[in-house]
Amino acid sequence: MSKLKSSCKLGILSRPDGSVLFSQDETTVVAGVYGPVESKANKALVEKACVEAHFRPKSGLPGVKDRLNESIIRNVCEAAIATAMYPRTSVVVVIQEMQNNGQLISCALNAACLALLDSGIDMKCMFAAVTCFIHKDESLVFTPPINEDQVKAMFMFVFDSVEKSIIASHTDGSFSVEQYKDALSLCKEECANMFDFFKKSLTIK
Amino acid sequence: MLVFPGDVVKDVKSVKGVTVLGPGVAPDGSTVRVTRAGRLHAKPPNTYWVEHDQKRYVPKRGDLVVGIVVKKSGDLLKIDIGGSEPASLSMLAFEGATKKQKPDLQVGDLVYGRLLNAHKEMEPELVCVDSYFKAGKLGPLSNEGFLVTVSLGLVWRLLEAENPILEAVGKAAPFEIAVGMNGRVWVNGRSVKDVLNVVRCLEVAERHDDRTVLDFCKQLK
Repeated sequence: MSKLKSSCKLGILSRPDGSVLFSQDETTVVAGVYGPVESKANKALVEKACVEAHFRPKSGLPGVKDRLNESIIRNVCEAAIATAMYPRTSVVVVIQEMQNNGQLISCALNAACLALLDSGIDMKCMFAAVTCFIHKDESLVFTPPINEDQVKAMFMFVFDSVEKSIIASHTDGSFSVEQYKDALSLCKEECANMFDFFKKSLTIK
Repeated sequence: MLVFPGDVVKDVKSVKGVTVLGPGVAPDGSTVRVTRAGRLHAKPPNTYWVEHDQKRYVPKRGDLVVGIVVKKSGDLLKIDIGGSEPASLSMLAFEGATKKQKPDLQVGDLVYGRLLNAHKEMEPELVCVDSYFKAGKLGPLSNEGFLVTVSLGLVWRLLEAENPILEAVGKAAPFEIAVGMNGRVWVNGRSVKDVLNVVRCLEVAERHDDRTVLDFCKQLK
């Protein structure tokens, strides 16, 4: 099984507090983080920071699917950021899709993690997302087949860096319990590579 | 030593049960965990912190900052200091100010002040006098000058006592500077050219180490 090729460039945008151009395989996104910034009166929380995520598609206005991505990104980021250290403020994560080759959501999450690390906002842990696919012939792969009809199921897992435990899991398609367990253990192995990649990218900077 | 969020700081020393934790490290039960990616520094006997080149300023009590007046209401000024909310500055917190004689400040003017109070649950409070009601170097900054925004890492470098950058720039032409801990730097000189030279040096310093900046300063005329 071939590993995913990741590459990134930190701090590419001048206005946000943290930014990254991140690509995994053919999938590419740009992520920017602003925070902690003043939050709107109706969104401000007294005891912790409010995390907002914005997902911008390649063209046009965000649709229903982009809203789903936003909510996934928001939930995962909220779990990782030390929100209690910034009461009455907002942390805004903006993701711009550049190219999608199947693993868009895991790519967006990894980019969000790198942008948060770049911004220097306090975090409880890092997180890494991995996507894998089940082929029509029941084989488990990281890179999706060229034809979308060949995909039987898709798994996306997010892990934290401290306990290596699962933070989020999203699935699509039909699969058996065994296949789910196989995919989970496979992604868990791969997430260690992602954390190594994050550390290497930040060291170079 | 490079550390990442979630890492445990090993061999934490304490004096009489006290350990001083700076930015980037937080207690987690009986251990100490890192909360941002960067270089871990330890100052004997018991102080720990993580340095990371940030852009966003989080107000800290006692910091000297350069702020912009954004609102005037009665005796209170609202000052943008780059944090998550504007700081408040009383018109009476200037040297020699009275109810009748207040400093002439308009929206958009710059002030150099000290943070009297910066609790995360409360609005930060600025003053332009010290505890003896003397202004010292604090107070309104002249409109002649030029304001630039730099990263917080560069501010720390400039404010180090033995840092040679500002001295080297001063050899080319005299200038006046107010470095705010919030990443805002106000510069004034005899001519626009002198001011721009300082600004260019700061831009070089943002991306290069001290030695490169010193070489660059020598080329200035």
